[in-house]
Amino acid sequence: MATPPPNLAKLLGRVRQLTEEYKAGNRQSFKSFRELVSLLLSSTIMKTGGGVQLVLLKNEEKKGVIGGRKGPTDPLPLNNGRYLRLSMSLELTDTPEGPRLKVYDSSFQYQLDRDGKHWIFRYDYLRHPASQHPPAHFQIRGKLTEQLVLRQGHPLERVHFPTSRVSLEAIIRLLAIQFGVRCNEPPDVWQPVLAESEHLFFRIAHLPLSGPAE
Amino acid sequence: MYDLINMSCIGIDKMKTNGRHTTTLELTRSEIIDHIEAGARRRLHISAQDLVRRYRRGELEDPGAVADLLALANLLPDNDPIFGNAAA
Repeated sequence: MATPPPNLAKLLGRVRQLTEEYKAGNRQSFKSFRELVSLLLSSTIMKTGGGVQLVLLKNEEKKGVIGGRKGPTDPLPLNNGRYLRLSMSLELTDTPEGPRLKVYDSSFQYQLDRDGKHWIFRYDYLRHPASQHPPAHFQIRGKLTEQLVLRQGHPLERVHFPTSRVSLEAIIRLLAIQFGVRCNEPPDVWQPVLAESEHLFFRIAHLPLSGPAE
Repeated sequence: MYDLINMSCIGIDKMKTNGRHTTTLELTRSEIIDHIEAGARRRLHISAQDLVRRYRRGELEDPGAVADLLALANLLPDNDPIFGNAAA
């Protein structure tokens, strides 16, 4: 039986600790969530020099936004020279089980340039969608091989493919495995780290319907 | 790019591990709106107020394209004047 990598146990322990802290639903939860996002990205696809920032409204104790090093509009640099724009809206909410930190909206966009004009794909999750789009959806900026399939004036990139909840861990895996973005840790470290974090996330994740409830 | 880190801010904590940075930044309402305004004008040629009101009325064709700006708007309370009478 192969010996586990020396830092794997430490990273898994840190993932569990940060998850417990953000689930606690207090002011510290925001920073713990920020640290967890940073750990996942630092172990995998984020380039050295990148970073994660938590933005808060002054005197507001219950809301925060996670984004790149200079905020949600600042994409994370990746090891292949491309970018991931990441924004996650967090809110402390009262539940029957006590206060919890919830992710209300999240958006992950893979893009070639800092401005995001040349984006490749995007996943959005809007807990309270204000349009007819599915609350969780995936978009791809490309062209269909077949003709006369899409609505007039409605290119493929405007099609919002409904999904269930897609985690940050899934997006990292997609980029690492299918888009070939190099990871900072070897696979026998980053894969179990993502698996552990994703497993803990799906225990508490809200799963949306693909359309309006009424 | 409009740079949040260069804005006047309150209560920053910073950590740096293995060349990666994590920070917390507290912004005033006015700073948040300035940031949304700059992004909305540059990308969609509309004001911050137009952006958030159109979004809440379900009138933005592709809200995901500006999800980062909408996330900043989410920091504001639902009764903030920028949202007007748009649904919360």
